Amino acid sequence: MTFIDQDPKSAIDKIQSGFAAAGYICDRHIATSIYLSQKLDKPILVEGPPGVGKTELAKATAEFMGADLIRLQCYEGLDESKALYEWKYGKQLLYTQILKEKLGDLLEDAQGLDASMDKLHQFGDHFFSEHFLEARPLLQALKSEKQSVLLIDEIDKSDHEFEAYLLEILSDYQITVPEIGTIKARTKPMVFLTSNNSRELGDALKRRCLHLYIPFPDGDRERKIIKARVPDLDEKLLVQLVSFVQQLRTQDLKKLPAVSETIDWARTLMLLHAEKLDTDLVRNTLNMLLKFEDDIDNMDIEIPKLVAAAVKETR
Amino acid sequence: MDRPLAEFVDMLRYSDVPVSIGEALDAARTMELLGFEDRGLLKSALSQVMAKTIDEMENFDRCFDQFFTSETSLNFKDNSENEQKPDETDVEVELDPVDEKGAPPPAMSGNGEGGGGGGGEQQSGEQQMPGESAPRSLTDLLEQGDRTELTLAMTAAADRSNLGNIILMTQRGLFTRRILEEMGLNEVNQEISDRKAEDDEAGAEDLGNRLSILFDAVRDMVERQLALTSDGKNNQFRQDILKKVRLSNIETRDFRVLREMVRRMAKRLTDMNSRVKKVKNRGHLDIRKTMRRNVAYDGILFETHWKQKEKDRPKVMAVCDVSGSVASVARFLLLFLHSMNEVLPNVRSFAFSGELGEITDLLNRHGPEEAIPQVIEEYGGRSTDYGRSMEDFKELAFNEIDSRTTIIFLGDGRSNGADPRTDILKEIKSRAKRVIWLNPERKSVWGSGDSEMLKIAPYCTKAEVCNSLTKLELVIRDLLKTS
Repeated sequence: MTFIDQDPKSAIDKIQSGFAAAGYICDRHIATSIYLSQKLDKPILVEGPPGVGKTELAKATAEFMGADLIRLQCYEGLDESKALYEWKYGKQLLYTQILKEKLGDLLEDAQGLDASMDKLHQFGDHFFSEHFLEARPLLQALKSEKQSVLLIDEIDKSDHEFEAYLLEILSDYQITVPEIGTIKARTKPMVFLTSNNSRELGDALKRRCLHLYIPFPDGDRERKIIKARVPDLDEKLLVQLVSFVQQLRTQDLKKLPAVSETIDWARTLMLLHAEKLDTDLVRNTLNMLLKFEDDIDNMDIEIPKLVAAAVKETR
Repeated sequence: MDRPLAEFVDMLRYSDVPVSIGEALDAARTMELLGFEDRGLLKSALSQVMAKTIDEMENFDRCFDQFFTSETSLNFKDNSENEQKPDETDVEVELDPVDEKGAPPPAMSGNGEGGGGGGGEQQSGEQQMPGESAPRSLTDLLEQGDRTELTLAMTAAADRSNLGNIILMTQRGLFTRRILEEMGLNEVNQEISDRKAEDDEAGAEDLGNRLSILFDAVRDMVERQLALTSDGKNNQFRQDILKKVRLSNIETRDFRVLREMVRRMAKRLTDMNSRVKKVKNRGHLDIRKTMRRNVAYDGILFETHWKQKEKDRPKVMAVCDVSGSVASVARFLLLFLHSMNEVLPNVRSFAFSGELGEITDLLNRHGPEEAIPQVIEEYGGRSTDYGRSMEDFKELAFNEIDSRTTIIFLGDGRSNGADPRTDILKEIKSRAKRVIWLNPERKSVWGSGDSEMLKIAPYCTKAEVCNSLTKLELVIRDLLKTS
């Protein structure tokens, strides 16, 4: 990475503009985090409400650095055989059968049991070797020659035990397979972990990571994001709809509308050839933003007020 | 690691941001990388390295601002602007040669009137180590208004007088004086009186003014340090006390602190228990997985694989008296139980004084903090009737009780003369796994007056006094251990 060796400020600026080119509008805080993680060789633990672009950040990083994205989706019950490695049992079985057949030929000249055993021990032990190792995402990321971005998505959904498997990778970029030994990373992957905070993560894990909290964006950044994602949207409508969503987030709702939902809504409005927000339009399309019936009902009376405030912004 | 960072880390630790050594080292590297120029950048970078939750982030922000913005304010210029305009240029002119050449002698010669005893010492020091910039006397530093040097001298003097050990408000004066003396206060005072003796009133006044500015700066530094260390220490001290104090005696302003403590305790218990459980749940052989595992050994079962039973989480029902003094304990019991929804996912809560009702929904919807006042308003305030409440409880929840259910009653057992209906309690006990009765009153008053505790206790698996957080934690730990 050439940009990383420049002085901090220009490197961070470069990251910011590079991400913008990849369609991800990030603020300085996020760019700093990417810079630090490169410099300190640390994974980034990304937290924040759903839909603020935690996963997108990893994708954008991969695109920006021209690296492969290896993604591991976590869920309850995920274990090492699905995340780290698994033995190829079928092939191992075939190997033993081949070995059995060949054994006669190989041990032909050995006299007696002891001699045969000695001879047997002289052969390399291939049964547990890397040939029979099926690499799962984490191991793939370590074995990759090219720089890779490893995304461990929704780590909070996995179990406590799985968190413990991760510690070795996160701090030393290596994993230990008991039968073989330690496998070190060829090129250190850049690691992102995302969490929705459905479960408090262990201190050991947090200590090994940089902690990046992404809140809902402010109006200015959200406008930039929508503009990057829905470039054809009318400028006036953009200002209005972002202002509306921003106001909506200050209301007492079960689930606040996320950035991804704003994007969807912007697309919807564009499809409908809307030129400006009005009460009916918002009422009819509110289900793009709010995903609970209760929320939609509660907001119904508020809509005229919010729309009026949003329209005022463009005057 | 350099001193300011170490101090900052200390400050963070006292403000509930547990910075590990590794994290502190990372922070040192980050500072090295980014430098101090761009404070915003440094703050955002350090916050990622050192603060690992949202709460910690808030604390971090506060600490950072406090620590890094409260720089020493040695503003001589303001002073000279107000009083003696021409002096300002003097200071500026004199500053320049010193800064550029780094050698004091020419500055000193330009500093004619400031000669005196200080100057003499200075020169002899100068001769001993030529080439190096020797430490200048405090008088000179003040005369020249060299802020950087003064700040350095202040920090060094603070170090020598062990400012880090300051704990009490009353020590402020002492430490301020000690630091000033370390810096050479006596010599400056001497100089002032010398000047007075020589009828140089203006010079004496000027130096006096400068000294008082320095005095203010040192006092500020001492106060800052006091805020830094003692706030944190006091906090910890207060928390230690709060753990042991009787819950009914805790004042409203401490509730916030306590809530945090309960949360932390609950989290610790949660963590401990998720580990114990795994070992326990190994019992049945998982044939399919074992076969697959042992394909490697040509189908011979070397390596066994155990079925991991679904985690057997205890079912808990909490029945709380919410009248008077019991309510404050109930608040924390409920807070505790509901903070642990990871290991105790199915807690049902009931509240009663006159009659009983289920409050699980209310708690889940609003969270324990907000819901409890509502609960107390709805169910509290009537005269307690244990018999009636027991009947209500039986009606509501009896069918749900099974051999995995633990029932926690919380109440003082004062039934205002009404029959406590221990027969129902007996039925419940025979059906449930355990019945735990927690009573905020001391054991010696059980049974006195209208207390029915002595009648109730035999029908409980356990009847205990519970009036402080530490006791509460013990009870809940017990609950999880034997589940």
